[in-house]
Amino acid sequence: MTRIAGATWNRRAARALVVVLGGLASLVLTVSLAPELHAQQTDRAKALGKRVKCMCGGCNDTAGTCNHSGGAFAGPCDTAKAELKEIDARVARGDSDDLILQSFVQEYGPGVLIEPPKSGFNWVGWITPVAVPIVAFFLVWQVVRRWHRRAALAPASGPPILPDMLERARHEADKESDE
Amino acid sequence: MDVFGSFALLLAFLAAVYAFGAGIAGILTRRALLTKSARNAGMAVFGLVTLAVASLEYFFFTDNFSLAYVASHSNRALPAFYKFAALWAGQEGSLLWWSWLLSVYAFLALFLNRKRHPELMPYVGVTLAGVQIFFLTLNNFVATPFKVLGGADAAGAMHVARLSEGTGLTPLLQYPEMVIHPPMLYLGYTGFTVPFAFALAALLGRYPGEKWIHITRRWTMVAWCFQTVGIMLGAHWAYSVLGWGGYWEWDPVENASLLPWITGTAFLHSVMMQEKRGMMRVWNVWLVFTTFMLCILGTFLTRAGIVSSVHAFAESSIGGWFVGFLAVVLVVCFAAWWKNRDYLRSDNQLDSLVSRESSFLFNNLILLAACFAVLWGTLFPVLSEWVTGNKISVGPPFFNKVNIPIALFLLFLTGVGPLLAWRKTSFDALKRNFAWPLGIGIVAGAVAFVFGFRDFYALICLILSVFVTLTIFSEFFRGARVIAHRDGTNLLAAVGDLTMRNTRRYGGYVVHLGMVLIFIGIAGQAFNKDVQMELSPGQSLSIGPYTIFCQNIDEVSNDNYQSERATLEVFRNGKSQMMLYPERRFFITSQITQTVVALQSSPLRDLYVVYDGRSPDTGKPEIHAHLNPLVKWIWFGGIVVVLGTGLAMLPNRRAVLVLRAATETSWGEGVAPESPSAVGAVAPRADTHD
Repeated sequence: MTRIAGATWNRRAARALVVVLGGLASLVLTVSLAPELHAQQTDRAKALGKRVKCMCGGCNDTAGTCNHSGGAFAGPCDTAKAELKEIDARVARGDSDDLILQSFVQEYGPGVLIEPPKSGFNWVGWITPVAVPIVAFFLVWQVVRRWHRRAALAPASGPPILPDMLERARHEADKESDE
Repeated sequence: MDVFGSFALLLAFLAAVYAFGAGIAGILTRRALLTKSARNAGMAVFGLVTLAVASLEYFFFTDNFSLAYVASHSNRALPAFYKFAALWAGQEGSLLWWSWLLSVYAFLALFLNRKRHPELMPYVGVTLAGVQIFFLTLNNFVATPFKVLGGADAAGAMHVARLSEGTGLTPLLQYPEMVIHPPMLYLGYTGFTVPFAFALAALLGRYPGEKWIHITRRWTMVAWCFQTVGIMLGAHWAYSVLGWGGYWEWDPVENASLLPWITGTAFLHSVMMQEKRGMMRVWNVWLVFTTFMLCILGTFLTRAGIVSSVHAFAESSIGGWFVGFLAVVLVVCFAAWWKNRDYLRSDNQLDSLVSRESSFLFNNLILLAACFAVLWGTLFPVLSEWVTGNKISVGPPFFNKVNIPIALFLLFLTGVGPLLAWRKTSFDALKRNFAWPLGIGIVAGAVAFVFGFRDFYALICLILSVFVTLTIFSEFFRGARVIAHRDGTNLLAAVGDLTMRNTRRYGGYVVHLGMVLIFIGIAGQAFNKDVQMELSPGQSLSIGPYTIFCQNIDEVSNDNYQSERATLEVFRNGKSQMMLYPERRFFITSQITQTVVALQSSPLRDLYVVYDGRSPDTGKPEIHAHLNPLVKWIWFGGIVVVLGTGLAMLPNRRAVLVLRAATETSWGEGVAPESPSAVGAVAPRADTHD
């Protein structure tokens, strides 16, 4: 009886061992085959990575899009990776976007930002491409209005033109302009 | 052979100097013989520069590395067609290539007009020769491609050193499109010299009427078309080769190619105001001047190293020459305009604020605003550093924020313009023409919104694209319906007939349709996705509806490069869809690595996969997959734009004219004649609307 009980226990133990080992093997296999995610884990970190330049000096990319053409590795270069890791760490720490970007400006200078910060002389950079077309639009509008007024005031003069003549003249003008 | 090439270049320079000097003397003394010899000298430049180009190509094809330029841009293993393209791979060769293309244009302009416009052509010849002198000065004395390797020995005797192997062509340029892209772009840049020469000539010679506009219209369209093809090929090259998943990054070199294209586009529109109404003469002359100067400015930006760009040539002293030339051109243009400004007075003025004229005016204003915004963004880092001492960056977010609203407004005007009549459009006609296309556009936008389309600009772009497409089709439909009704043909044949009667107008609409397709493709960018991860054989990643399974990483090599290649199987809904083979090539001679993107393109989306190589941290292969919606529409749109431009350049097929005293009407007013008897009176009139 004891022998039977011992044999049953052994069988159960062996089965349990197989299950545990199988489970462990599956876990190891799953972990080893699972693709490793790139450093940037959150959408926020990704977005921030695209707001700072890769400061390696060899490309004009953002840290988030650095693909380093011509280099040994086409993904982000070491400089970009370091920047992305710093962003990840600061995002994980709960820093605000402004604080993270400011820390990059302190470390690398204002050139690290992919667009000029909205402060000081940089306002000229932001306002000018909006202001100049508006001023130009206003000036053209004024000129057009002046033309319009003049055209409205201009009296008709000369002998009356018959519709036939008018049509023929139009046709001639069209023919010339379609050469 | 190097002496032959150098000698041909020097003779070309002397011929250009003679063409310039004799041309001026011919104009001043009115001696026909001098003018004729100047023209012949101008045409001879083409032959001489051709000999120089052929000489340099001979060095490339015979692997003669005694020339510094050949040694640094070619090697023995380089395939033959890349040896041909290596001609423009560097500063010196590309400037020679520029001179050659310019000489082709100059030859054609002088030869085709040798018996025409005798009062205008001497000025044209002088202007073309002046531009040629500048580039040939660079070719001969500043950046010669015929510099021989070697040096003097102890006795002072010169020895030529002939290397056994060159350093090779940069791998980024070893791509089929790179054999076509630079020539297309340069054909655009150099092509704008011809309208510039005619505009300046007309101004200097006070050439009467709008003749110079008629003469240069096709020249401008040819240059614009080449510029368009060049820009599109450049974008496609960046997309297919650089491996970052995009096609436009607002890089200074990209911007430099866009600037003259924008002003050229403005000119092609505003020129119609001068032709039809004798308006905007000053504007048009300055648009041509500006377009030419932007071509030179763009070249200066990319060659002087004042703005940082991945595409730019190495920093060199050549920038000063371009600044000097630009200053001379500006002074000459300003002086010519100032002296002859009374000649440019408009015949007519705007009759109504709601008219075809005003739409062209605003179209021009918006195009120039876009041009200014791009130029400003490109140069602002230089200005900022100069003023504050701080180097700042102006990247894609700045350009997108500024230019997207401008571009969308332009798209709106593309739809509005053709619906407005010349001189004046009534409110009723406006309502009649706009209501349904705009209504359907808004409905399309609402439907898209309901289905989860949430990006603001993409939504506006969709609404406007539907609106513009409908206005274009309605223009074709209304005209074709009249012809079909009159001639008893089917609608499709009538569309062909209508188009061939006014190729310029309907070709223009086809160009607009192409632009709509490009806008739709660009709007797709709002929905891009990408995943980048380490992917060893046996692993997979998911992106959108696709699962990418890595089967294998293997190695392939030949004389030119060694390659590491990933074999990827793409599944969709559990079913195998395709195999992709992204590569990384290591070019042996230049010791540079380059990606070869695996691209599965469909009208709906592109699956764009890059094999980044082995991660420097873990040594595992890394795959970067992008899912880019609607990119194919951009390339297709580009083809449509080119076809439309080609169509617009064809001569019109004349309709049988039936003159009849009819009440004045216009397509813009939307009054389509219903009875066949009225067609004769209206169709010829409509024929000439643009």
